Amino acid sequence: MKSTTAPRATSSDPAVAGPAPRSSGFGRRGPRHGPADRAGGGIRRQLPTSPWLFAAPGLLIVGAFSLYPFLSTLINSFTDRRTLVAGEFVGLANFAELLDDEMFWIGLRNSTLYVVGVVPALVLLPLLLALLVQRQIPGITFFRSAFYTPVVASIVVVGLIWVWMLDDRGLVNSLLEIVGVGKIGFLSDQWLLLMSAMAVTVWKGLGYYMIIYLAALANVPRELHEAAAVDGAGAVRRFVTVTMPAVRSTMVLVGALSSVAAFKVFSEVYLMAGPTGGPAGEDTTLVMLVQRVGTGLSGRVGYASAISVVVFVVTVALMLLVLRADRKEDA
Amino acid sequence: MRISRRAVALAAVLATVLPLSACGGGSDDGSSEASDAVKGKITFQTWNLQANFKDYFNGVIKDFEKEYPGTEVQWIDRPAEGYADKLSADAAGGTLPDVVNVSPDLVTPLAKAGLAMDLDKDETAAAYGKEYLPGAWRSHQIPGLQGTYAFPWYLNTGPMFYNKRLFEEAGLNPEKPPTTYDEVFESGLRLAEQSNGKIATLAQVPTIEDFGRYGASLMNKDGTGFTFNDAKGVEMLTRYKELFDKKALDSQALTATPESSGTKFLTESVAMNPGSALDLEKFKKEAPRLYKNIGITDQVTSTGKVNMYVMGVMVNARTKQKATSVAFAHFVTDKTRQMSFAKQVAIFPSTKGSLDDPYFTKEDGTDETRVRIAAAKSLDSAVNYTPVLFSEQMKTELRNQVAKALQGKVSPQEALDRAVEACDKLLKQS
Repeated sequence: MKSTTAPRATSSDPAVAGPAPRSSGFGRRGPRHGPADRAGGGIRRQLPTSPWLFAAPGLLIVGAFSLYPFLSTLINSFTDRRTLVAGEFVGLANFAELLDDEMFWIGLRNSTLYVVGVVPALVLLPLLLALLVQRQIPGITFFRSAFYTPVVASIVVVGLIWVWMLDDRGLVNSLLEIVGVGKIGFLSDQWLLLMSAMAVTVWKGLGYYMIIYLAALANVPRELHEAAAVDGAGAVRRFVTVTMPAVRSTMVLVGALSSVAAFKVFSEVYLMAGPTGGPAGEDTTLVMLVQRVGTGLSGRVGYASAISVVVFVVTVALMLLVLRADRKEDA
Repeated sequence: MRISRRAVALAAVLATVLPLSACGGGSDDGSSEASDAVKGKITFQTWNLQANFKDYFNGVIKDFEKEYPGTEVQWIDRPAEGYADKLSADAAGGTLPDVVNVSPDLVTPLAKAGLAMDLDKDETAAAYGKEYLPGAWRSHQIPGLQGTYAFPWYLNTGPMFYNKRLFEEAGLNPEKPPTTYDEVFESGLRLAEQSNGKIATLAQVPTIEDFGRYGASLMNKDGTGFTFNDAKGVEMLTRYKELFDKKALDSQALTATPESSGTKFLTESVAMNPGSALDLEKFKKEAPRLYKNIGITDQVTSTGKVNMYVMGVMVNARTKQKATSVAFAHFVTDKTRQMSFAKQVAIFPSTKGSLDDPYFTKEDGTDETRVRIAAAKSLDSAVNYTPVLFSEQMKTELRNQVAKALQGKVSPQEALDRAVEACDKLLKQS
C-alpha cells in the first residue's frame, strides 16, 4: 500500500504541495488538524470535492435516468411486481419462467437473427459508400447529403413509407406484378417481414456509419495508397491491404454499435409487423416483448424486468465479444 | 475513495428504497381528507375527445361550474393511442385525475388496485344508479369484486359497412347483405372465388367479441376461467381458416389493426368492415366512389344480439374532492348531458328513457339517421361481449393463437385450448 500512496505525497498533488511542514512519516499525509493545515484547510478541503461538484450535474442525470432505472429494473426482476400492484420477492422465478416461455425464445431468436442479418451489412456497406463519396468530384456534397437523409428522417415516417411500399397493393408489389413476378407477401410472411425490417434498418443506418467511416478514411495516409499502387496493387487489393487495416478500429466500433442497436431493435419491427409482432407474434423481438408484457394497466413489470436483464446481459456480452475479437487481432 | 464509496452506498440505498416507496406510495386511503362539499378544483380526463368536441366539453364544464359555484374543473384529454399506458403511468405515479373516462376493461385493474371508487359504497353516487339503464349500470361491475366502479356513459354498437359494387360484381344481392356469420362466410367464399382471390370480405381475424356473437361461451359464471374453446368457438375458427385459405380473409389480416383494415376497405380491396357513423364523412371525402356504393347494415351476429361498447366515467378513489368529483361524474353522464352529446356524435345515452326520444326513433331520409335508428334499435337486445377481465395481454394471446390456427400450424381446437390456458394463467396472476 505504501508504494501506491507515496506518490500522492509529492508536490504534484496540489492538496499537499503547500508550504506547511509535514509531521508525518513517509507516504502519509500530515495530521489533519494541525495549525498549519487549519490555515490552508479551506482550500485543502474544497479541492478534492471540486471535481465532484463539476461532475455533479452529469452524475445526477446519469444517476436519475440510467443508474436508478437500471438498479430498479434489476430489483424488479426478482419480484412479481405489476403495474398497479407492489410486488413480492420471488427469487429467480421470473427467470425460470422465461425458460418455458415460447415468446421469449421467439424474441431471442429474432433479436439474434437481427444482429446476424444487420451487422455485417452495416459494417461493410457504409464503408463502400464512404469510399464512393470520399472522392472530390462536382456535386458529391449532394450525394453525401442524400445518403445521410434517412438518418435524420423520423423512424415512424420511414416505417410507414416502407409499409405502404411493401403492402400487397403497394409500389413494390405493383412493380413486381407488372414485370410478371407476382405479389410477394413482404408484410404477411414472418421471415420476409423480418428481412424487410432488417432492410429498413440497414437503409436508415447507412448514412450514419458512412459519416463515421469518412472521418476514419480522411486519416488514411495517401502515401500508403500511392506506394501500393506503385507496387502494382489494384483497387481491390488496395482496399483489402491498405484501407481495411487502416480503418479496422472504426470497423470494430461500427460493429459494436450496430450489434447492440440491432439486438435492441424495436421501432422498425413494431412499425412493420404491427403491435402483434407479425403473424402469431412470430416476428416479436425481445424489446417488443418487454413492451408488450410490461406495459398497460395489467403489465407484469417484474417479468418484463427479467427480460430486460437478459437483454442487458446479451448486449454487454456482444460488446465484449467484439472488443475481444479486436484485441486478438491486435495481438 | 471514501466519497465514492459513500456515493455508491447512497445510490444503492436510494435504488433499493425508491422503487419500494413507489410501490407503496399509493397506499394512503385519502378518503379521510376527502371533502364533503361540492367545491374546489378537480381534474377530468377524457379519451380522445378534445379534437372534435372541444366546445361541447367546455360548455359542460362551464355549466357545472355555474351550477356549483366555487368549483373549478380542469379538463385533460389524452389521445386514443396508448390511453391505457397513460392511465397506468398516472395510476402508478399517483397522478390519476379525479374523474376519468374509462371502459369496463380499463376500470377493472384500477378497481382491483383500489384506485376506482366503489359507487355503491357512496350514498350520493349509489342514489344516482336508478337514473341509468340497469344493464349499463352493471357494465362496470367486476366478477370477484363487490361494487360498481364507474358511471355508465355513452353506448355504441357500430354498424357494418359493405361495398355494394363488389357484392354486385360477385353476383351477390347488394340489397341483402349478410347479417349472420354463416351468411358472411358464404358471401366471402363467393366473393373470393369470383375475384380470383383479389377481393377479401373481411380484413381482421376474429376477436373475443366475434366469438361471443357467434355463440361461443366466453367465461364461466364465476368469472374465474375462460371458456371460448367450446364447440362453437372451434367451429367459428375452423370456418375462418377456410376463409383464410381461400383468400376470403385478407392475407394481411394476421397483422391487421382497425386502422389498416379501414384503409383496405377504403381502397376497395375488402368488401366489409365494421365502423361508426363518423366513417361516412371520411368515405365521402377520401373515397367518393366507395361512398356512392356504400351499404350499411347491422353488426354481424349469429346470436341475434349485437355487441354493445360501453364507456364509463370513474371517480378516483383517492381524490381529495370526493363530493365534487362524484357530482361532476354524474353531471357529465346525466340524461340531459348524454342526450346533448348524442346529438353531437353518433353515440347512444345509457340513461333511462333517452332512447325513446324521437331523435332515435324518427326517420328523416338521411343515411346518418338510418344508421342511428338501426343502431338504437339493436341496443334493446345488445350485450357487452367484451369480458371486463379480458386484458390487453389476453387479447394478444388469443390473437396469436388464432393466427397460428389460420396458418395451419395448430388445429383450431388446439389453438383455442392454448389461448384459454394462457388467458386463465394471466387471470390468476392479475
